[in-house]
Amino acid sequence: MPPHFSDSPEATACYRMLSLSQAGPSPETVMKSPRPGSLVEKGQINSRWLDSSLSLMTQDVQKDDELWLRFKYYTFFDLDPQYDTVRMTQLYEQARWALLLEETDCTEEETVLFAALQYHIEKLSLSTDPTDPSGDAPTLDDLDSALSSLEVKLEGGTAPTDMLENLTAIPELRETLRVFRPRKLTLKGFKPHWVVFKETSLSCYRSPEEALGEPVQQLNLKGCEVVPDVNLSGGKFCIKLLVPSREGMSEVHLRCEDEKQYARWMGACRLAARGRTMADSTYRAEVQNILTFLQQQRAGSTSGPTPSPSPAPDGAGPTWLFPPRYQKRFKPKQLTPRVLEAYQNVAQLSLTEAKMRFLKAWQALPDFGITYFVVRFKGSRRDEVLGIAPGRLLRIDLAVGDVVKTWRFSSMRQWNVNWDSRQVAIEFDEHINVAFAVVSAGCKVLHEFLGGYIFLSTRARPGPGPGPVPDEQLFHKLTGGHEAL
Amino acid sequence: MCQQNPGETVRIVPGAEEAHRKVIFVLSTGKSNSKMEQTSDEIDEMFSNLLGEMDMLTQSLEVETFQLSSPKESTKEFNFSVGFKDLNGLVTMEQQEAQAKTDKIKLALEKLKEAKVKKLVVKVHMNDNSTKSLMVDERQVARDVLDNLFEKTHCDCKVDWCLYEVYPELQIERFFEDHENVVEVLSDWTRDSENKMLFLEKNEKYAVFKNPQNFYLANKGKNESKEMNEKNKEALLEESFCGASVIVPELEAALYLKEDGKKSWKRRYFLLRASGIYYVPKGKTKTSRDLACFIQFENVNIYYGTQYRVKYKAPTDHCFVLKHPQIQKESQYIKYLCCDDQWTLHQWVTGIRIAKYGKTLYDNYKRAVQRAGLAARWTSLGIVEPAVSTGSSSTGAAQANGQIHHASKEFSEAPKQAEIAKEKRPNVVNNSSSAQPVIRPQKPEAKQALQPPPPPQRRSSATVSSPCLPSKAKRGSTASLSDPISFPAPPPDMGSDLPPPPPDFYEPPPDFVPPPPPSFSNSTGDLAPPLPPPPPPPPASVTSKPLPLTRKPGPPAPKRQENTGQVGETKSTGVEGGQLDFMSDLRKALNKKRGDNTS
Repeated sequence: MPPHFSDSPEATACYRMLSLSQAGPSPETVMKSPRPGSLVEKGQINSRWLDSSLSLMTQDVQKDDELWLRFKYYTFFDLDPQYDTVRMTQLYEQARWALLLEETDCTEEETVLFAALQYHIEKLSLSTDPTDPSGDAPTLDDLDSALSSLEVKLEGGTAPTDMLENLTAIPELRETLRVFRPRKLTLKGFKPHWVVFKETSLSCYRSPEEALGEPVQQLNLKGCEVVPDVNLSGGKFCIKLLVPSREGMSEVHLRCEDEKQYARWMGACRLAARGRTMADSTYRAEVQNILTFLQQQRAGSTSGPTPSPSPAPDGAGPTWLFPPRYQKRFKPKQLTPRVLEAYQNVAQLSLTEAKMRFLKAWQALPDFGITYFVVRFKGSRRDEVLGIAPGRLLRIDLAVGDVVKTWRFSSMRQWNVNWDSRQVAIEFDEHINVAFAVVSAGCKVLHEFLGGYIFLSTRARPGPGPGPVPDEQLFHKLTGGHEAL
Repeated sequence: MCQQNPGETVRIVPGAEEAHRKVIFVLSTGKSNSKMEQTSDEIDEMFSNLLGEMDMLTQSLEVETFQLSSPKESTKEFNFSVGFKDLNGLVTMEQQEAQAKTDKIKLALEKLKEAKVKKLVVKVHMNDNSTKSLMVDERQVARDVLDNLFEKTHCDCKVDWCLYEVYPELQIERFFEDHENVVEVLSDWTRDSENKMLFLEKNEKYAVFKNPQNFYLANKGKNESKEMNEKNKEALLEESFCGASVIVPELEAALYLKEDGKKSWKRRYFLLRASGIYYVPKGKTKTSRDLACFIQFENVNIYYGTQYRVKYKAPTDHCFVLKHPQIQKESQYIKYLCCDDQWTLHQWVTGIRIAKYGKTLYDNYKRAVQRAGLAARWTSLGIVEPAVSTGSSSTGAAQANGQIHHASKEFSEAPKQAEIAKEKRPNVVNNSSSAQPVIRPQKPEAKQALQPPPPPQRRSSATVSSPCLPSKAKRGSTASLSDPISFPAPPPDMGSDLPPPPPDFYEPPPDFVPPPPPSFSNSTGDLAPPLPPPPPPPPASVTSKPLPLTRKPGPPAPKRQENTGQVGETKSTGVEGGQLDFMSDLRKALNKKRGDNTS
């Protein structure tokens, strides 16, 4: 905990509050919140930044006024979750809202990943204390755990054969499942098979009696794709396996009777795809995660512990994890299996890891970190958009949304602001000059963005531990404008 | 001589015998899987393999057993003592012992892991159509293999060198990324695969790090390459690769997509994002929300498609392919894309690699640069040392990677040795020599026959296919006959073994060999130090410098023949599962014989 938070109990409480991510918004809240529809609308909010070189009172902020606290610059310098729980959590909140309110655009696939991460973070936030670093305790590597289990066995004085077995035995699954192997020119039909899951491979037999002989089909699931095909209200619990082989992919569908069976087999498949067996310590957690997810979906969809046979309209489902655009496009029951699939890939992350992963994926979006201003370039007759991103300036066509030209901060020589005519002139290397008038916001705001990013680029490379104390004076010099002089 | 080996096995502790049995088992299965045409000669041959194998194991175990008994034994011992202690109830003693036991078990488990390490004999094709065989173990990544190859080829160690896999059947190829596990990739190849592994320079591999501006700041649709000063380049790389998340170059272009199962190509507008390749569906805009996902990179590798205009009637020859690494045959799950020009292809392949591998790519590059710099430094330092090693070279020669550095033997001696080897062998195993000539003749043949892509050579089937020479050899397995056969090879071999040695490489005294990395010596009598499978590659050019001249055609000859002939299925693909250290073992056996002969 940083020292300034440990001064008083209030500060400590504040620290705890800020390190917790908030409960997810209801779909209605998101639907009702204003969402920017165009670049111009995205630019409008930037007229409202307060001046960082003036005090709040100078800017007419009264008692009981409500202000938003936002990260203004999108360079997350030296973000280290160990020292920066609060910053990480708040960044995560900002990222989540930016995505939910469609400020940062993303594709369907990306949205699903974000939804799964949100779900996971939400779930972990309820159970773990983010300020407690031991929540992320490193798991024992397999050698250590193997040794400790061996030792336990030894102390217990059990028979040696038993011990060896326990060390080497790998749990197996042997059950009757309905299996479907899609082929060309076959009708869809699931046939009951006796299926044995051993280590990382799956063998299908016609009956338990035949299990001693040759299997009908045997697949090693290492490296395979596992796709859930679940419909809660329909009582459908299917696992689609796409197993790579030399000739291509073989596809097998397993249909389970109920959630529990599904979770058992799904967990095994997931682990096998990663090359691990059910002996792996994560197997239980994997199964448990799947079950919890399904139960929560069910709780959201219908009341009562048992699935109602009637196709009752699914309630919220996972829709609150999605921006309105996708809430409208898909039905909850379409979203559930997709979130489930993505969730399985992230379910083993710790809270911190999940948040960092979320931030990384957010930062990897092409639209990430661009602050928009409507400007009019010198010599141009129509409004255009200037985007300021960490490291670069973008000239964007207002009508099409295409980036017309990019300039980099690293080649910037100087910039000048004419406060009266609201003109900004920037000089780049090789005598490239750019001049424009800011239409959608005050010059000061844009000036602060330019200066702020320049300031951030002067900071040294992050080393281990908390970074150096920022040079506040330099910051004000770069962002202050004429007030600073 | 034959008796000598079993004699040694007797000395092995019981646990070690276990290990032997295991090895033998592996070997024999490998055999039965291979060719059915094996005759009793081959069984003999196999036997000699095993002798070599045991020989080596003996040595290694003799040393190892001082430190620990075999895992099984140690656990047994363990139980006994536990029972004993329960009776006595000596607490402190117990604690101490428990600690000791834990350590023992730890060691045992580590040894178990070690013993399980899989090794492959890999045949790598050089850019002059020669080949080199080397041992690759399960834990080695492409970088390690490259380092080994640098050592063997005495090349300049530049960053552009790469391992390159080629699938003749699918007409696709790609370079290994330096962090990729080689054995893992190779084990996806089929047993009778025609796939090859090449060692060559590809400037595309790290082009993005040499001129990042061409990828990150390029104007859309323009292929001009721009200049940028080093400082800005560094800043750009820093920004793109060292932030919280890697920046994937923004790419969008109309590419051709081969339609499933058809020979037609459809033009679509594709965009690259960190999360995958997307396309713009008909009638939609290219805003994020409208994009349809074409593919994500988690489960696929990227390859170049070659000559696709002919093969698939592609609009241009600038194609790339995305497929799961395990797929080896044509399949609907392989995606084929075609670009308008070479530069677009280059941008896309690079962009996809950045999206797939992220910062790892940059780390690989930095390591490669470091390696290249190191090599350069060594070259300037290396001249001092030559005197050291003349004598030691024969002992230090066999490396764990399967390469012999018979560097210091004089030319005249080499043939003699080969002769000796030949003469000796018939005594031990009558027919082992029959296999030997198999590969030798093939070399020159291959040289004459082709310059462009060397035809897939199957070493094993060469026995059948290369008509006259092998048969000759079979008829008379005497030294006099087989010798002439194996000798024509050396001269071309010499040239072919060293790709491009700069002229000055020839100047330093020839008879220097670097101190051998921890490995077995050739002389069987000595106690070899325990073998750590992946030999820490000794500093590059120390080795690389002197070797070119001294690389004798003679000594390697028997080794290579052995390997190919006996293993029987180390094809040009070079992938062979269980065939562990044949080369080195056999070499060892051979040397032993030699030693006996001379003494």
